[in-house]
Amino acid sequence: MSRPVPRFTIIGSIVRKDMAEYGRDKLWAFLTAMVLIAVIALFWILPNDVNESIGVGVSGLDAPAALAALETIEEEGLRVVPFRSAQDLEAVVAGDAEAWQTEGQAVVIAPGSDPAAPDGADKANVAIGIAFPDDFFASTAAGQRTEVTVFVDAAVPDETQKAITSLVREFAFVVAGDELPVDTPDPDEVFVVLGEDRVGSQVTAREGFRPVFVFLILVMEMFVMASLIAKEIQERTVTAVLVTPATIGDVLAAKGIAGALSGMVQAVIVLVAIDSLFPQPVLVLTLMLLGSVMVSGTAMLAGSTGKDFMSTLFHGMVYMILLMIPAFAALFPGAASAWIRALPSYPLVRGLVNVSTYGDGWAETLPELAALFAWSVGLFAVGWVVLKRKVQTL
Amino acid sequence: MTEAAIRVEDISFSYGDVPAVEGVSFEVAPGEILGFLGPNGAGKSTTIKILTGQLTPKSGNAQVLGVDVTTDDPVMQAQIGVCFEEKNLYDSMSGSENLRFFASLFGIKNLDSDDLLRKVGLVDRANDRVSKYSKGMRQRLMMARTLVNTPKVLFLDEPTDGLDPVSSQAIRKLIKHEADRGAAVLLTTHDMYEADELSDRVAFINEGKLYAVDTPDNLKLEHGKRSVKVRVREADGVKERTVSLEDATAGEELKAAVGAAGLMTIHTEEASLESIFIEMTGRGLEG
Repeated sequence: MSRPVPRFTIIGSIVRKDMAEYGRDKLWAFLTAMVLIAVIALFWILPNDVNESIGVGVSGLDAPAALAALETIEEEGLRVVPFRSAQDLEAVVAGDAEAWQTEGQAVVIAPGSDPAAPDGADKANVAIGIAFPDDFFASTAAGQRTEVTVFVDAAVPDETQKAITSLVREFAFVVAGDELPVDTPDPDEVFVVLGEDRVGSQVTAREGFRPVFVFLILVMEMFVMASLIAKEIQERTVTAVLVTPATIGDVLAAKGIAGALSGMVQAVIVLVAIDSLFPQPVLVLTLMLLGSVMVSGTAMLAGSTGKDFMSTLFHGMVYMILLMIPAFAALFPGAASAWIRALPSYPLVRGLVNVSTYGDGWAETLPELAALFAWSVGLFAVGWVVLKRKVQTL
Repeated sequence: MTEAAIRVEDISFSYGDVPAVEGVSFEVAPGEILGFLGPNGAGKSTTIKILTGQLTPKSGNAQVLGVDVTTDDPVMQAQIGVCFEEKNLYDSMSGSENLRFFASLFGIKNLDSDDLLRKVGLVDRANDRVSKYSKGMRQRLMMARTLVNTPKVLFLDEPTDGLDPVSSQAIRKLIKHEADRGAAVLLTTHDMYEADELSDRVAFINEGKLYAVDTPDNLKLEHGKRSVKVRVREADGVKERTVSLEDATAGEELKAAVGAAGLMTIHTEEASLESIFIEMTGRGLEG
């Protein structure tokens, strides 16, 4: 045998071996399958609509003028549900009855009663009720004091309760024909949005969890790879490989390829299943590929530092928590803190959110791609060096 | 003169401040088995690690098949086989899969794994996962793995450690066969009988230093007594006497002893490798 074995032959053999071992590890194979199924199922179970208005039940206002006046309340982002009586309103807010809204007034149905909800009616979630007295208009117009009852669910925050009270006062002020001492002619001049303006493009729970789910797959991959690497070190099988024509570079390259490959395959399955691959498949796959490389580097780190299964799991958990923070931060609107933006997985999560949720393209995602590329290369290099040193000291 | 397959010149290595190998020199010719004899921690495995490129010597020079071992030369590595002391096999793979995987690292595509497994008595368990193998079976599979590339140089680190006598004998037969086909064998062991049975020459190593490199016969002759002990049953009990082979009358005395009616045993007073090792190093082989 006088000719060296081609590098790709050696690396390919190790990759195939790693993938076979992965598939035969019952624990990881089971966990991987479970996570894949759970992620896809959870995604489709999560609600895909946004309801940011608070249902406010109103009773005692029948006059057409009152309906016009109610627009004042709806402008505040509240959904007005008219009730026939204060008693119905109180029962619904207290949770003793359900309200179904038709085009007219709300139909109140006590739980377990007959008949059932009317056809074509929507269930109205009413957390706050405002019961105006029957003589509200007359008394207010005459400048007489009158009493309005506000019902609130126990779960409504104190601040919201106070805001509703102020709203009722303001409403009464308008009904009395007085001008408010504050003028807001153009909302755009008054409300200055700081940061990224996402008004009108609110994210549903399903959309919000999308990066969490996709990232979960990559993190799972990190655990599997870390476990395989740690096992190879602990059982010294890597030393048997290194006395063949295979070099340590071949072994490390194979680990990186195996990790990125299995991470990518699973990520693509999830992306397709949760309808996130299109309309920018190449961009999404590029993000995922870089993410897989980053996770492979992290797996090398975790696998090198772990002395047994438990310590590998512990190290993996530490890395997992750090990497998952940006994914969870994406669930909440608003800009992420500076320290979260400094985490390696932030550009990946940000890129995924912007592409899959807001439809950003290559140009808009370029900063995230650049940052992710730098992090992926950096972490892979660190993982490579640490694992190499570990193997050399065996 | 045949060029040495393994040539080691004055190599030294230390783990931190602790010396593991100090100024070791020896050669192994093709077809020769050199038994590396020493107790645990003597420096046997460290020497093998240096020669297989796992460790870099602090000083000295070592060549395998004419190639400096520090160069990590893939062509040289394709022609060596290493049997480790620890059973570093892939447990989730079968015996056959383990062999085929390692063969693929040597660029061998169509390995007859059954043939190799047959040599070590594992062909019936070829498709069983290694996790189901006994310790002895793992050791035999390790030996089979060492041979996947038909190596020109074999490094065998305690290849019969923990094996039953029958398996040990099978492995020794295999080692002999490899040497007969021309492979140079560096065999580390602390089993003096194994070293004596297999080795063309033995090297005594202790605390990282080589004490002797010679054939077992020469060592025994040099360090043993040239005498024969004869035990004869006589009327008044068993009598034992020693006949010195240096004496001119030794032949006559032995002839008389062999012809005696009550002859019980005749033993040479040859030294064992272990006693020579203890004499030279002041330490036993099992230490």
